[in-house]
Amino acid sequence: MAIPLAYLGAGRMSAATMSRQPGFANSSIGRALRSSWGARVTSYFAFVVAWQIVGASFFRVPTPWETLDFIWREVSGGDHGGVRPGQFWEHFSATVPRFAIGISVAFVIGVVVGLLIGSFSFVRALLSDVLLVFLALPAIIWAFLTVMWFGLGWEAPVYTVILSAAPFVAVNVAQGVRAVSPELRRMSDAFGVPRNRRIRSMLLPAITGYLFTGLRFAVIIGWNAVLLAEWFGAVDGVGWRARLWYDAARYKGFVGWAIIFIVFIFLLDGLVLSPLQRRAFRWRASPSSDLKAEVGAVDTESFTNTAIGL
Amino acid sequence: MATLQIEKLTKTFPPHSKDGRPVRAIQDISFAMSGQVFVSLVGPSGCGKSTLLNIVSGVDSPSTGTVTVTQDGKKARLGYVFQDSRLLPWRTVMQNMLYVSDLPEEEGRANASKYLEMVGLGHAHDMYPGQLSGGMQQRVGIARAFSVSPDLLLMDEPFSHLDAITARSLREELQVMWNATKKTVLFVTHDVMEAVQLSNRIITLAHGGTVFDDTTIELPFPRKASDPEFAAQQAEILGRFETMELERTAAKG
Repeated sequence: MAIPLAYLGAGRMSAATMSRQPGFANSSIGRALRSSWGARVTSYFAFVVAWQIVGASFFRVPTPWETLDFIWREVSGGDHGGVRPGQFWEHFSATVPRFAIGISVAFVIGVVVGLLIGSFSFVRALLSDVLLVFLALPAIIWAFLTVMWFGLGWEAPVYTVILSAAPFVAVNVAQGVRAVSPELRRMSDAFGVPRNRRIRSMLLPAITGYLFTGLRFAVIIGWNAVLLAEWFGAVDGVGWRARLWYDAARYKGFVGWAIIFIVFIFLLDGLVLSPLQRRAFRWRASPSSDLKAEVGAVDTESFTNTAIGL
Repeated sequence: MATLQIEKLTKTFPPHSKDGRPVRAIQDISFAMSGQVFVSLVGPSGCGKSTLLNIVSGVDSPSTGTVTVTQDGKKARLGYVFQDSRLLPWRTVMQNMLYVSDLPEEEGRANASKYLEMVGLGHAHDMYPGQLSGGMQQRVGIARAFSVSPDLLLMDEPFSHLDAITARSLREELQVMWNATKKTVLFVTHDVMEAVQLSNRIITLAHGGTVFDDTTIELPFPRKASDPEFAAQQAEILGRFETMELERTAAKG
């Protein structure tokens, strides 16, 4: 507990006081704890401590150690007390293709519908209320409906993901299209830029931010959707496996799978979406003064000489 | 040879509100320009200069009257330099140049390089607009407009957003560029000094969107603001401006 208390104590001191006192708050550890990284570590630490206290106090809440032990057994195929050996990879490999197919189809449909709604007022009038209905319907309704339509199998999870996630992509893309700079549109008109090139070089990059927002929403909504659909309408998959532990009233199993779901989303965001977003927005990198200085060394004389040499 | 013919052009915008009245931006303007000329449209803010340029470029349409732009009897190719650079921020300088090009890829790159060299940005091909200063961005905008080999080049107050020193430098560069290429240019500005420095001919628009004055400038290039003849020409046009303003004030009563 000493580290968080020191962190909180340092936060109450004024900057002037801290700069005068050479104690712990001004040491390298103290400075690290006051950084945003330090704040994040402190919050994780506080959460685990609180979890441990609650887990030790109530038998229906597993402790962090019990949960981690369960996850390790589930992932490594270990024994769960003589029954139901760990089957993480079997179920995970059943769910991921469903999720990936669902999200991919939802993304394509969402982008196309969003482009149409954003570009044409007629399509906007036609589909905006329908889109609102789809946005308002929770994933659990789609999970029930698709299970009733398709029965137990891979179809219900895939269609639940598509129906739940596509509207979030569409609504964001439509907003992005409407936000495209009219000056850039006018420039493209003035130079007679062909339609395909406009879409590829102006429209799609202009809506990239909205596209990523839509995709992030879609991934989170879609992941919830696939779990729900597997919970009710599949014979394998991580949702089905989580339900197995729920039905067996094995708390550490159920909480363990909840932790796995969260970790999966964190990893997907950190290892796939964030790098993709950084790559898509590399043009936003802060202007380099060195580069400006290099290219800025242009004077009228050099320009004149070049122009005359035509 | 590029020819711009404007006949009895009027442009009226619909009212801003239900109770408002239609706004007449241009009223019965007629003039023609042809060949290797640099024509400036000068006038106070709100006199319809930019509206006229938008109609000539085809971005906007006239309410009445006709605008024809031809090159040897065929439809002319236009280039446009805007008040701001209007570059795609997510594309490099070279990609911005290629965005408006209708040449095959390799030929387009060589052509773009030539014009970027002309504006002193030969080393900036792979830079993004955000890495360039405002003046450099506008240089790319000028290079982009010249690179499409326009029969008629339209320029809408291209230096109005720049600081005085950069604007002066770019005016001198444009003068050199025009003398090297002799494109037909229609240049909009509210700066009489700028118009006198760059143009063969100055058309002055009055409030209400009518042609007030049409003057030919016969000073030799390059023109320097410090030359007495330059100052005299500028004073003469400004004098006519003052007369116009006095008459307008008197008419208002």
